[in-house]
Parts: sequence; structure tokens; C-alpha cells
Amino acid sequence: MSEPGMVVEGPLAGLEEIKKQYPTERAALMPALHAAQREFGWLSHEALAAVASRLNLPEATVRSTASFYSMFQGKSTGRHAVRICTNVACMVLGAEGLLAVLNGLYGLAPGQTSPDGRFSLEVMECIGACDKGPSMLVNEDLHTDLSAEKIIEVLETYE
Amino acid sequence: MTGVKVKYLLGNIDNPNSADIEEYEKAGGYQALGKALSMESAMVIEEVKKSGLRGRGGAGFPTGMKWMFADRDPKFPKYIVCNADEGEPGTFKDRIILEKNPHVLIEGMAIAAHALKAEHGYIYLRGEYPAAKKVLETAINQAQRRGCLKFPLHIHQGAGAYICGEETALIDSLGGKRGQPRLKPPFPVSEGLFGKPTVVNNVETFANLPFIIKNGAEEYLKIGNPECPGNKLFPVSGHVERPGVFELPMGTTLREIIYEHAGGVKGGLALKAVIPGGISTPVLPPDKIDCPMDFVSVPKWGSMLGSGAVIVFAEGTCLVKVAWRSLKFFERESCGKCTPCREGTGWLRAILERIENGQGREGDIGLLEDVAGNIAGNTFCPLGDGAASVALNFIRHFRSEFEGHIKTDCRKMAVGP
Amino acid sequence: MVTLSINGRKVELEAPVTILEAARKNGIDIPTLCHHPALELWGGCRMCLVEVEKMPRLQTACTVRVADGMAVHTETPRVVAARKAILEFFLINHPLECPTCDKAGLCALQDLTVKYGAVAGRFEEGKRVFPEVVDDPVIVRNMKRCIMCTRCVRMCDGVQGASAIGVIDRGAGSHIEPFSGGRYNCEYCGNCLTVCPVGAVMSKLHRYTYRPWQMEKTVKTICSFCGVGCTLRLEVRDESIKRVSAEYGDGVNNGLLCGRGRFGYEYADSPERLKTPLIKRDGRLERATWDEALGYAAERLLEIKKSGGGAAIGGIAGGRTTNEEIYLFQKFLRAGLGTNNIDSIARLGLLPAQKILEGVFGQGAAANLISGIPHSEAVLVVASDPTKLNPVMGLEVRAAARAGRKVITIGHVDGLKRHRTHRLEAKTGPGQETLIMAGLLGELLKVKPLTGENPGLEDAIRQWEKTLPGPDEVEKAAGVAASLISATAADLKEVSTSSIIAGRELASSMDMRTNMLLLAALGYILNSRIFLISEHPNEQGLIEMGCSPDMLPGERPLEVSTFREKYEQAWGAGINPEAGLTLMEMIEQAGASIKALYVLGEDPAFNLPARGRVKEALGRLDFLVVQDIFMTETAAMADVVFPALCWSEKDGTYTNLEKRIQKLKKALVKEGIEDWRILAEIGKRAGLPARYRNVSDIFREIAQVSPIHAGLSFESIEEGGLLWPYKGKPLVYSATPYSAAQSSSVSTAAGGLYGPWAEAAWSGAPQAQNGLKLVLDKPLLHSDTLSTHSGALMDLMGGPEARLCPETGSKLGIADGDAVKVSTEQGHISLKARLESGLPEDALFISNNFRGAGAFELFGYQLEPESKTPVLTAQNLKVERL
Ligand SMILES: Cc1cc2nc3c(=O)[nH]c(=O)nc-3n(C[C@H](O)[C@H](O)[C@H](O)COP(=O)(O)O)c2cc1C
Ligand code: SF4
Ligand code: FES
Repeated sequence: MSEPGMVVEGPLAGLEEIKKQYPTERAALMPALHAAQREFGWLSHEALAAVASRLNLPEATVRSTASFYSMFQGKSTGRHAVRICTNVACMVLGAEGLLAVLNGLYGLAPGQTSPDGRFSLEVMECIGACDKGPSMLVNEDLHTDLSAEKIIEVLETYE
Repeated sequence: MTGVKVKYLLGNIDNPNSADIEEYEKAGGYQALGKALSMESAMVIEEVKKSGLRGRGGAGFPTGMKWMFADRDPKFPKYIVCNADEGEPGTFKDRIILEKNPHVLIEGMAIAAHALKAEHGYIYLRGEYPAAKKVLETAINQAQRRGCLKFPLHIHQGAGAYICGEETALIDSLGGKRGQPRLKPPFPVSEGLFGKPTVVNNVETFANLPFIIKNGAEEYLKIGNPECPGNKLFPVSGHVERPGVFELPMGTTLREIIYEHAGGVKGGLALKAVIPGGISTPVLPPDKIDCPMDFVSVPKWGSMLGSGAVIVFAEGTCLVKVAWRSLKFFERESCGKCTPCREGTGWLRAILERIENGQGREGDIGLLEDVAGNIAGNTFCPLGDGAASVALNFIRHFRSEFEGHIKTDCRKMAVGP
Repeated sequence: MVTLSINGRKVELEAPVTILEAARKNGIDIPTLCHHPALELWGGCRMCLVEVEKMPRLQTACTVRVADGMAVHTETPRVVAARKAILEFFLINHPLECPTCDKAGLCALQDLTVKYGAVAGRFEEGKRVFPEVVDDPVIVRNMKRCIMCTRCVRMCDGVQGASAIGVIDRGAGSHIEPFSGGRYNCEYCGNCLTVCPVGAVMSKLHRYTYRPWQMEKTVKTICSFCGVGCTLRLEVRDESIKRVSAEYGDGVNNGLLCGRGRFGYEYADSPERLKTPLIKRDGRLERATWDEALGYAAERLLEIKKSGGGAAIGGIAGGRTTNEEIYLFQKFLRAGLGTNNIDSIARLGLLPAQKILEGVFGQGAAANLISGIPHSEAVLVVASDPTKLNPVMGLEVRAAARAGRKVITIGHVDGLKRHRTHRLEAKTGPGQETLIMAGLLGELLKVKPLTGENPGLEDAIRQWEKTLPGPDEVEKAAGVAASLISATAADLKEVSTSSIIAGRELASSMDMRTNMLLLAALGYILNSRIFLISEHPNEQGLIEMGCSPDMLPGERPLEVSTFREKYEQAWGAGINPEAGLTLMEMIEQAGASIKALYVLGEDPAFNLPARGRVKEALGRLDFLVVQDIFMTETAAMADVVFPALCWSEKDGTYTNLEKRIQKLKKALVKEGIEDWRILAEIGKRAGLPARYRNVSDIFREIAQVSPIHAGLSFESIEEGGLLWPYKGKPLVYSATPYSAAQSSSVSTAAGGLYGPWAEAAWSGAPQAQNGLKLVLDKPLLHSDTLSTHSGALMDLMGGPEARLCPETGSKLGIADGDAVKVSTEQGHISLKARLESGLPEDALFISNNFRGAGAFELFGYQLEPESKTPVLTAQNLKVERL
């Protein structure tokens, strides 16, 4: 997520460094999309077009590729991306109950952003923290052993 | 069956600085690399072949053989790619290495690069592991500064697509494309990344190499099942007392893993079912837990070793719901390339959903079996087969539970643990 | 040799192919949906599953290669069950709206369901829905019907190279979209429509107006829009074209088309078509009978011949006329009216360029196969954009780039920008190609030794070598990095076969001789096949049929008496030994030495530079005859107008830019008289016996008189046409200068082309003009004003645009979409500004397709002294916002 006040020189300034890691410009597409998502908040039309022009790729190609991956956001998101795992291991430990809690407290439904724009919620497949499930990622932070109380406690630390 | 007990993957992870290169070196790290560099490339490949190491990514393919194919291809540059996409639900073994012991992976990749004369390396890291990314970046930097890394090694971050764990999809994804499986042949060892010979190995596979090179193939063969030697990481989750990752010799039984290492079923409840190797592998009923866990034995017991991810279900778990959630996973992760998987996984999920919601009908079990049977064997890649086998195996072992669901609404019936 | 068995039958094959190919070659059909022979292998639909002994899983026939000893079974109960299952998977989400689907009857899914039997509806959940998208002018998308074979995407990406569409999302939610529903990069080739096996992407033209099985006939003919000469299928009902299609394997285009060819056919049905002959009475064109019009025209022309001599009459032909028409046209003028004042639109570039090249390399130098382009090691594109002017040839260049061949562009080539190329483009607009070519030649000479095969040319090249500009000089003057030029030359060092595609800008330039020698030298060093861009379907025919003031049919020089005599004998009339006037000379002499003009299928009042002066000149004529399908600006000035038939309404032949003769087939019966008949009739009135019953008779005469066409018959032009040198004899040219090798009479004819070159020294860089330059634009979707009569093309590009890059726009204070007035000393026009990034700086692109705002309102010209080609000029260019 773009921090307010973050200074960047032109859109996707860091891309030149990334390009050096690959023999083709096409290969730099995923890192470029990650960078664009950090910078623009989500992969808007504008963000995709910027990536396309920086990598000399057709826009349809960029959009098609971006849309394949669930972590590339095709619509605007809240300030904090909440990603809860509901896959089997977390499910049997009660992950689904947490969704109800979030809905009640923040009006959050999977795939949507809370009315105050604070959180957007994504239901995830396994995030590889099954031993301490239920688990979730908030932005880049992993939170585990969630219960109804703990999830509220954690989320309240994100403004 | 279990031979020597050594821990060479997670030996030092209790050390809070285990990810630091100094700690790693103190414990003997990077000595294997030094030894490898003093050997002819071909000799390193020979040693790996002799060791009988099998890939830990799920298929158990002999690593030495894969290397030999790539080595024989005359094209250059060659690439080595670490598959750190760990997406198989229930699996979190690679994450421990990535976050706690990254240098064992880096050392393993450096050995592989020397063996294969590879000039470039990438680690395809799943997007859901941002913490691991930071650790890896630091570790790669350290290794580079120490001169342990003689080739550029980059991290390529995934973005949420299970299928990118499949190696050809991974290669396309690394090339900036939609991560869909490609036709084989040509195989990655001859036409992989950017059309060049490419070896893709799992994190844990690479992490086995320092031990093999340092101690020699013979020592390695003494661990576990001689047909499938070495240690294996078993991530255990679900209804157990002490979930976590356990480093145990190949061939350790499921019973030992669940009851000795993971502390047994939670709350002392009875075991209802266990998935032995991640949700793509067939579920096993309680009477199958004496199965030794290695690539050779598990198939004989009706399942597969897969990633070795053990998910335990206690008495009271609704298995229809587990099957439904598994199919939902496959539906969401189907890449959409081939018809049976694209159209069939959602259909299976829909039937399971109505059974789960108390709207099942007579004939639904037969329909499930029929649709799953139409998927199985007809898909482009193993993902679709996995989806079909989940449906088929849950029904096979727990048919009466499915029948019960169709007759009575589950929500009135099931009591969770 | 591979031996295998398919369904128990022994099959032997030369080379390992896929099971599918092996089966099809042996007449065994295996159903497919995602497979298409023109596209990258996919293996996704799983329809082609077959059983292979010893393999536990069923295998996809489209991807698995046969191996020796393999035993394949294509229709076992297991296979049939699997296919049924796959079909069921397709149908669970398919809307089954066949009654309202235009594809019904041509749908592969429908056919396969019929073959394997529908499965009872076991799927009871809601079907996937996507709204039908009809907001595009020509393409309807219905993603509910899509079966995700991705053939359209693979076509767009891998063959067309436009990458305008892609698969969006994944799994069951996958669907295909243009970027954000817009039109990004879409070239409107419609090749996606050809490969869609179901009704998911379809043409919007004639939507819901017919069912495929109601089509009365499908006629294979040649496209009327450019010199590639693509094979089209006209699907006809009620004497109207309902659809244009092409299938894999068709013609030089191998089933591919461009937007003009596919969607531009509607002009044929335009209500503005001329229907009856017209005669000007009291300053107004009035209807007349054929007899009146023919009689009147012949009478006036003969009168003028009588009073002023044949030299007072001239003829101008356009590039959409057939070989037979052109032949009769020049015969009428030469033998009937006694004039050699015959020229055509080929004067603007193709004719002079070809003449010079053939002077160096021999006749037929520009006769090369388009399909060979991707197989050459390097492709050099100079001063043209084949992807716009000859789009289907452009695809071969893209294919070369994709296959990793070295592709070099000199000048601005929009359509290859996304492809892997060496781009040698000047910073500021076109016109610097001469300099860049010279720089590249100099660098090439340093790294690539001459072979000694053509000593004459090598002498010339060596003389030049000392004076060629170095890369630094080129960098300074044209802004192309010196290092790029050297790197390009280095990359071409090992190249032993190549293709060069050259645009007419090289010939219509004051530097044309320099340009052509540079081109020849590059072509020689790189061992190139040379392709000359040809904008009209029969521009080549104009040259070969003798539609030029100094050449008789068969490209025989007029001044050689033995050739002349042969024609005089055949035609039973004398031929004036003096070469006639060229295109612009005739116009300039109008009202002076030229009293009358006969214009066949061309619109000089619109299509020539200095339009004001041209119109004035035409106004000074005593008599003007125009034969055309629309009331063009020239026709409006005429004394007699003959309504022509258009390409779909008559038989004949076109010769494409490969020099391939192809048959045009009559698909529609329309009122009117075929153009050849008009020419034959008027010829008869001028005393030429007209013995022709049909075009075949005319062709027979051509074959009798033209040495390159000797031995041909209309009937012998197979599908796919006949290639140069047909069956006849070209003039034998030699690599050494003419005089040394040939009889003296021939040598003078060709020596004029070659001789002076050796002395021509590099005269230094043409000076870069500072400031804004006007460039003649050639839009992909239009061709002359003809295409503006096609509704679909107008929906795609409905009006004139002045294109410029955003930087230049902001310098001039012009925003995208602004109305602007552009003026030069010649005149002014008003049109819309379009800002497009990637265009060269300081260049303003305006096309000459739209009446009222054509670029030729603004361009003046100067005649290149040797070839008399009009070189475009634009003085005092100004752009103002309105
Ligand atoms: C659907 C699917 C998902 C896979 N996911 C992973 C994965 O997450 N991690 C992994 O290492 N291998 C995964 N694999 C296996 C890889 O294709 C490949 O076999 C492996 O990376 C090879 O490494 P190894 O030989 O070291 O096991 C997957 C395979 C399939 C078919
Ligand atoms: S089985 Fe087919 S649709 Fe499913 S993931 Fe593999 S290739 Fe994609
Ligand atoms: S035709 Fe073979 S898989 Fe589609």
C-alpha cells in the first residue's frame, strides 16, 4: 500500500533496477505489477497502462496477466488489506466464524471494502500458517491463532 | 526402519539468529559448498544421483536424474529455479526453511549452480510470504558479500496462484505470463525458463544438498528408507495437540508423526480421518495410519506422500464440509486452461455445497462419482486429477457420512470438536 | 520413416507429426476445438482425446507426436465416453441459444453435439453469465458462448501480433476482453472471427439477417484493397455480399485478412454507385443510353485526334482495374487513338522504383514470395509500414520478428514497434531514410565482404564507399545513435539471406536515385529479396500491361522497333515511336498540348498533389471521359461518365506485388456493362476489331502478344495464381552494365537506368528540415476514398485526422480532439487533431482519404527529373486551433 507522503520520482521509478534482473522486459511484468500495486494502491486502468508503457508491452497482455493472480487487485481497496485463510486446516479450527465477526463489526464482506474505507477483506486459500490457524495476513503482517477476541484486538491496531 | 537420527534441515532453528550467515557458518554451514566447488561438476551430479535424493515438491522425482538431463542439454545459459511457491493447503514446511534457515537453501542452490554450470538463479517465492522475502533478501546479500554466491540469485514474487507451483506454470509465471501449465515435451530441463535448460527444485530438495555433499551419498542413504532416503519435513496441522513442522527420516509412520511428535489428537478425541500429504492427496481413514511416510510406501496404502503435509481430523469433523472446502479450493485455483477442470471442479463443488446445505438428493453421490470420474485422467495437468481424487476418496472412505447428509441436514447433525 | 497403426490401419509417415496430423492425412477425422493449424499448440479443450496402446491415460491427438510402433484408436467406447463427458462440461455453462445465434449451422460445438449426442441436463446450478457486448462497431462478443479454446487470443497474439485481446481472470471465470472494453491496439483484422469455433466473437455486420445455410453461393476471389492480393470468400445472397470470410489455406494470405478486406466490402452495395452512363449537356451531367454515351465519346475523341493528332489525347488508369481492362485501355489509346500518353497511379512510386531495381538486378527482381519473408535471416523495412499498407505482408514481418529473425526498420514503422527489432528511426519525422541507409551501408561494408558476383554494382558501391557518412555524422544529422547503427551492421554480418520491404517514399523523392542505389547496394550485400509496397490490387498489372508512356505490354520498351513492330502487326495499327507524357506531365499540359483525357478507375482531381492546380488543368480540357463506380471529383468534371462495375461484379485478373496473376471472380450480377466491354466497344468505334466474347478471349490475346505472358490461358491460372515469369520470357538483364551484354537497341533502353548510377556520387546528407513537416498518412483501415463508402470502415474511422505526438501537440497548444486548421501555400483544410504517443516529433500526419479534407489539398509537388515522379512538397505549413 502506498504510504501517504511517500516520494517517488515519476511512476514506477524503481522499475529500471528490476528490469536488470531479467533477460526480457516481459519477465519483469510481475514485479512491475507488484510495484504498481504498491504505488497506485490497486491496479487501476492507469496503473496497468503505466506498466505497459514502461515495459513496452501491449496493455491487453498486461491486464490479462495481472487478472490471473488473485493478489493483484483489479478494484480499489481499503487502506489495509485483510486476507483470511479459510482453507481446510484453518476452517476446521474455526476460520469461518471470524468472517461473521468481521461482518458484524466492520460491515466487511469477502471481496469488499468496509464502508469507512479502512479494510478490504479477501478470503484466501492456504497461506502456509496452518499450524497456528486460523491465520490471516494484514498487509504484509502475519497474525495467527486468531479467535473472535484476538482478531478484533489485532485489527484495531490498524488505523 | 528409521536409521540415523540427525537434523540437518531444522537443526539450529531454535537459535533466534538462525537466519544469520555467521550462525549458519558456525554450525558448519557453507563447508559443503566449499567441498562441491573443489569437485568437478560432473562428480557433484554423480554424488546427488548416488544419494537417491527425490524431489520434495510432491512428485518425488529423482533429483540427480533431472540434473543429468539438464546437464546433457548443450544450450546455455542454464537456469536453476527454486520452487518456493508452497501452495498445497496444509503445507508450511518450506516457509520454516525460508524464514529460519535460508542459508541451507542458498548453499544448496549454490551447489546446484556449480553442478549444472548454471549462470542464473531465481527463487519463485509465493506472494503470501512477505516475511520470508525480507529474510531471503538479507540472506542473499550476506551470501553474496561473503563470496558464497558466484551467480546472480533473484527473488521472484508470486501473486496468489496455486497452479504456479506446477513447474511449467511457474516457468511461464516467471517469464511474466499467466501461470498456466505448458505442454510437455519439451521439458524444462531442455526448454525451460526463456527457452533455456532449467532445473526446478523444491526448497526442501535444495536444502538436502549440503548434507549430501558434506557427508557423502553413503551417509545420506543410511537415513530413512533406502529406496527413498533422507529426512523429510512433515508439517502437521488440524486437530492435534502440538501442530508444527517435524524433521523426521523418510518412512516414519503416520502414527508416529501424529501421536509422538504432534502430541496426538486434540483433546484426546478419536481420529476420524487424515490427509497425509496436502489436500491433493487422497484422505486416509484411521486404520491406515501405520503407513510409512515416504514416496514409495504411501501409494501402497492408497494415497501419496505429496508435500508430506499431514492434516488431522478428529471425531466430529464434518467431512462433507472438508470435501466441499477442498473442491472450492480447486475451483478457485483452476487455471482455466482445460475443460474438465475449468468446468468440472465448480460442478463438484456445487453438488457438495447442496449436500452440505441439506439439499442433497438421491443420486448425488453417483453424480459426484460420475463427474469426478469424467475429470480424472482427462485434464491437462495434475491439478484437475487432484480435485477429482479428493471427491472420489472422501466418498470411498466415508460414503455413509455423505449418505447421512443427504438424508439429514448436517448442520443439525454435526458436532465440531 | 515412422510406422504406426491408427484404428488398426497401418500408416507410414515421412516425419514424426502429431497423431492428429497423421490421422487427418489418412482421412481419419478426430474432433478438435482448441486446435488450429495456424496457431501455437494448446491442448486445452481435450476434445481430441484418443486411446494409445500402452499408455494408461487418454492422449490429446493434437499435441502428442507419433512414435514408431504406436497403436492409436480414435473412436473406442472409452474415447467416445470421454468426448461425451467433455461436451457435457462445455454445455453445462453454455447458454444453448442456438436459435438466436448467427453461428448456428457453422458451429463446431453444435456439430460435435450432434455427432456424440447431447447429455441430459444433469447440471442444475445456475449457468455462468456474461453480458453480450455490442458496443463495438464491428465485433460482437458473447462470452457466455465462449468455450475458452483461446484461439482468438492466440491468433491476435501469435499471428496478428496485435495483442489487443487477452484472457481475463482464470478458472471458470475466464473470459476474453479487449483492454477495459476499449479498442486498444485492435487492428480490426477480424482474424479472431475466423478462428472462433462457436458464436462467441462475431461480425456485427448483417447480424441476424441470414442463416449460414441460406447463403446462395460462396465465391472465392481476390481482395480489391491492396497489392498483396488476398483470397477472399464472398458469401452472397440476394445479389448482395452478406459476409467476407477466408479459411486457413486460402491464397497468399493463408486465410488471414485485414480489416479493409474483411469489413470493407459494403462499398459494392452503396446507393451512391453510378448506374447509368452520363453525358454533360449544358454544364450538367445527364443520363444517357450506353449507345449515346459510347458513340458520343468515340466521336469526340476521334475528332480531337483528327484535329490535334493522337498526342493531344491522354489516358490515366487506376490500380483497381483488371489486367484485361488495362490491356484494352492502352490498346485503344495506342492503336485506336495513336497516342502513347498513357500512365497510371503507379507513377507515384511503384513504377519508377521497380524500373530502377530491375535495371540493376534484372527483370523480375521484385517478384518474390511473401510467404518467404519469415524464412529469411533478416528483414529490412525501409520507409514504409507494411503492417498498414500491405497488412497481410506485414504479418509475415511480425512472424519473422517472433521467430527471432533480425528485423531492422529504417524510418518510423508504427506497426512493428512492439516487435523485437533494430529501430533506426530519425528523431524528427520521415525523410531521413537516405541518410540512415547510407550510414548502415557504410558500416556494413566494414564488416561484410563483397562477394564479387556483380562487378559492375560493386564498382559503384566501392566508389561510394569513400564518401558515405559515418555513423557519427548520421547521429548528428538524424538523431539515430551511432552505436545502434554499428550494432545493427554487426548483427547483420553473418546474414546470408534476407528480405527488404521498401516503400514508395524512396522513389517519390528528389533523392530517388541515391535512395534506389542505396537500396540496391544493401540488397546486394545482404543477398535480399526485395518487396516493393504496392497500395493497389493491380498496380503491378498497370506496369505489365503497358500502361506507361514508354513501355508496351510485357514490359517491352516502346523505343525498340522490333517490339513495336510485333504489336503493330498483332493490333493491325501503327504505334507512335515517341514515348508519351507521364502522369503529371499530361495534367500540366492539359488545355495546352493535351486536349482530351480518358480516365479509367482513377480520381486525379482528388488523388494527386496540388489539387487546386490539377482541377484547374482538368477544367481546361476540351473533353474528359471518366469510367468509375462513384461520382468522384474527376467524374463530376467529365463530359462523359461510364458507370463501371466493381470488383465483385466482374471477371478478370489482378497481378499482385509478388507478380502473381490471380483470378477475380464475378460473384454478383449487377446491372451495367463490364468495363472490358465498354473499352472494347469504344475501341470498335475507333476502328479496332472487337472479337472478344469474354475476358478469357482478351487474356488469350495478351498471351499472344506479351512475351512474359506467352503460353498462358485464362483457364490455366490455377487457384493460387501464376507466378512470374509466368510461362513466358522476361527481358534478359545482366548484372553487368547493359551495353556490354546486350544488343545495342536494348542496352539504350535499360542503360539509362543503370549507367548514370556509377557516376552518381554521394552528394552529402539531405538537409533536415527544421520545424513541422507534413507527412502523407496511410491509415490501416482506409484505401483512397473508396473505403469511405463502406459503413463498417467509416464506423471504425469516420473522418480525417491530423495525427501528431503529444509533445508536438503541447508545443503547438493543441489537445487531442481539437479542431484544427492546417494550411500550406497550396490551400487549407479543417480536421480533428489526434495526439498519439510514439509518433516522430515535428511531424504532422494527414491522409488523403476523406473528401473535403484530403492531404493533397495541402501538398504541392516537384517533378523528379529522371522519372517524372511527383515529389510531395509542403511550404509554409501552419496549424491553428479552431
Ligand atoms: C498443481 C501442482 C502444484 C504444485 N505445487 C508445488 C509447490 O507448491 N511447490 C513445489 O515445490 N512443487 C510443487 N509442485 C511440483 C512441481 O511441479 C515440481 O515437480 C517440483 O517443483 C519439482 O521439484 P522437486 O523435484 O524438487 O520436487 C506442484 C505440482 C502440481 C502439479
Ligand atoms: S487441470 Fe487444466 S484447468 Fe486445471 S489447473 Fe491444470 S491445466 Fe489448468
Ligand atoms: S483439440 Fe486437442 S486439446 Fe483441443
